[in-house]
Amino acid sequence: MKPFRHLASASFFAVSLLGQGLDSALLLKAPTDTWPTYNGDYSGRRYSTLSQIDTANVRNLTLAWVYRAVTGGGNFFGAQVKSTPLEVNGVLYFTVPDHAWAVDARTGRELWHYKWESKGGIHIGNRGVGIYGNWLYFETPDCHLISLNIKDGKERWNTEICDLKEHYFASVAPILIRNHVLVGVSGDDLDVPGYLESRDPETGQLQWRWNTEPKPGEPGSETWPNQEAMSHGGGMTWMPGTYDPELNLYYLGTGNPQPVMAGKGRGGDDLYTESIVALNPDTGKLAWYFQPSPHDTHDWDAVQTPVLFDGEFNGEKRKLLAQASRNGYFFVLDRTNGQHLLTKPFIETNWAKEIDARGRPMRDLKKDPASDGTLVSPSSGGATNWPPPSYSPDTGLFYVSAEKSYSVFYLTDLGDKPEGWGGVDKDAWSESYLRAIDYKTGEIRWSHDWGSSGFALSGLLSTAGKLLFSGDISGNFMALDAASGDILWHVNLNANVSNGPMSYELDGSQYLVVGVGDSLYAFTLPRR
Amino acid sequence: MLHAKAIHAGVLLLGLMATRLGAQTPAPPPNTGGPNPPAKKTAPPGLPPEVLKLLGVAPPEDPAAVERGTKEFVTNCAFCHGSSATGGEGGPDLVRSVLVMHDEKGDKIGPVILQGRPQKGMPKFPMSQAQIADISAFLHAQIQKTGNRMSYEIRNVITGDPHAGEAYFTGAGKCNTCHSPNGDLAGIANKYDAVTLQSRFLYPKTFTFPGMPAVGPPPPPTKVMVTLSSGESFSGTLKHVDNFSVSLYDSSGEYHSWLLDRNPGIKVEIHDPLAAHIALLQKYSDTDMHNVLAYLETLK
Repeated sequence: MKPFRHLASASFFAVSLLGQGLDSALLLKAPTDTWPTYNGDYSGRRYSTLSQIDTANVRNLTLAWVYRAVTGGGNFFGAQVKSTPLEVNGVLYFTVPDHAWAVDARTGRELWHYKWESKGGIHIGNRGVGIYGNWLYFETPDCHLISLNIKDGKERWNTEICDLKEHYFASVAPILIRNHVLVGVSGDDLDVPGYLESRDPETGQLQWRWNTEPKPGEPGSETWPNQEAMSHGGGMTWMPGTYDPELNLYYLGTGNPQPVMAGKGRGGDDLYTESIVALNPDTGKLAWYFQPSPHDTHDWDAVQTPVLFDGEFNGEKRKLLAQASRNGYFFVLDRTNGQHLLTKPFIETNWAKEIDARGRPMRDLKKDPASDGTLVSPSSGGATNWPPPSYSPDTGLFYVSAEKSYSVFYLTDLGDKPEGWGGVDKDAWSESYLRAIDYKTGEIRWSHDWGSSGFALSGLLSTAGKLLFSGDISGNFMALDAASGDILWHVNLNANVSNGPMSYELDGSQYLVVGVGDSLYAFTLPRR
Repeated sequence: MLHAKAIHAGVLLLGLMATRLGAQTPAPPPNTGGPNPPAKKTAPPGLPPEVLKLLGVAPPEDPAAVERGTKEFVTNCAFCHGSSATGGEGGPDLVRSVLVMHDEKGDKIGPVILQGRPQKGMPKFPMSQAQIADISAFLHAQIQKTGNRMSYEIRNVITGDPHAGEAYFTGAGKCNTCHSPNGDLAGIANKYDAVTLQSRFLYPKTFTFPGMPAVGPPPPPTKVMVTLSSGESFSGTLKHVDNFSVSLYDSSGEYHSWLLDRNPGIKVEIHDPLAAHIALLQKYSDTDMHNVLAYLETLK
């Protein structure tokens, strides 16, 4: 018997902390006592309906516990918690590359720690786990999908989802829709095609695969010059998508085309790279697409969360999808059919010449990478990156960690058929912001400037307590008035927020959990 | 002298929203480095092997085997597959070949070389296992070269007009407000390779990957003046500033810090010596940038 169980049973309060899997019906509800999926719910809003912590009492927030994720050395970077923990029946589940943990959501005490023996791959981050009943799923840098028993962290099976030898790696948090485990792949070093797979949650067997690139003759293939370019065209599925159960559509942003910076051999729009795609989660069939960056040459993946909400647009109630994209533009679409509604920059950039009739920013060819360098804003890191944004239905504001930056883009492969990246960029300078965008107009309602000493990588969370939670680049974690942007509470945690903050309620207390470097911090209000 | 002059380059008057920061903390790893930095000139160093491993970069092939393999390839294979193995007349690309990527020391390419692919017009090549292993080393080196952008060489950077660059330096750019070709910039072209020099004149940050040595001298310190509501003021070198606090070292080396919300009416004036560099980033045309580099390259 595990010491933990012993303690639990000896406890005065007989609380069941272990042994209960995820009730899949909770995936269709607002996240309250459970945070059952990467974004809290399928909408990607990262909006918690919990309101115990609010604008009036947030200044009383106090530390509930700290958990430090120790990986056992060997990681030059140290553990960086970039995953958003899932919380199911009082237990948090989260990852860093090759590692998964279960931690008591009330006390921060470790239940188990699973370590995968890695065969390689790029170890820059892992976005977290997906849970189906009693089973947990996460991806490893060496291209494996692992299924663990959530009770004890014992491995149930593992299966390969990509080819490490082709320079793929895996980092995405799997998303569960009914009996589909949706897994994306990463890697853009050597011109490999992107895809999204649906796997069987019991066996790991492939159910379907959607390929970023069309097959010859299919719609979209006309946006590539030839089959070879298309079959090496990139478009990784770096990030978890969002889902509308009524429309039964899964929304996903795809990554940059490849070769990344040398576009000469892949003339055309390069579909469906850097696109927002709507897929049927039962079949993997494409329903519609919108491309934020046709023929990108700057590594500006359009993988940022396609956030779903219903709201008025031009006086009409609509089902909307909004993305603050890495290329610096905010897009609003009708998510029933992909109809374009709005394109507006959310930060100053210098790469686009115009917005075309379809709402796509069209690049200024003079800002393509060149052998002697072009000075481009933003840098390849982009105007925003993977850290999850948030949308609050209370304020109608879309919140994003944004970056204003300049970088020199050099073309290094001058041939007619470039391969690999074909170029590099050298960051010159950047400045970090938190911005609140009015989705109806794209106007910036308020903005905080965090300075230029780092890169804005804080995920965001809004709550029904009329709050927004964010980090800055000086190690502060803070609560803001979601409407006005006024900072109401902060604490210096000595490192920058490294994941998307999340919240849940247990025993009548609302907890707020944030990843900061190698640690999870939990905050709550003092008990009376 | 430079420092004292540079302070006037930019003044920011901030109240509770003081957020201008100097480059005080390390940035994410830059895409820099390279196996052969030019002699005597400073270039950002390459990353250590343990970091390269975590970035998925394979250890380098044995250079002697690569050299032998290169000769074998050029003699026997390049006619169809191209001298860089990216494909040619009739022969497919071997750098983006899944079969080659899965090859280890010739175990996958060996049978193809020895048996040929007659249906595709590839003849047999009677080769020894050693020759095949060398060709494998060459192909994997090509794959690494292509797949590892940290090893990319940036060439032909100096394309601008030095005279136009000098005119920009003393004219529109107002670089001569703080800098002089005979003073701080004397011999600057000998100190850095062209790419590093272009990066540094755009914004002279010095940090590189955490744990790696800095490139070039640090920028002049950021100066700050803090005035309390009482009228008392402190000035010195900025240690830290964010939305909640400001701290400095005064001229005698004493450390002071203030919480902004506990000091209503506090005024924080930050003199960022690099403000002119930031302002120029938004003004340079690419031609301006290339011309300024060409001019700086004349300062040997």
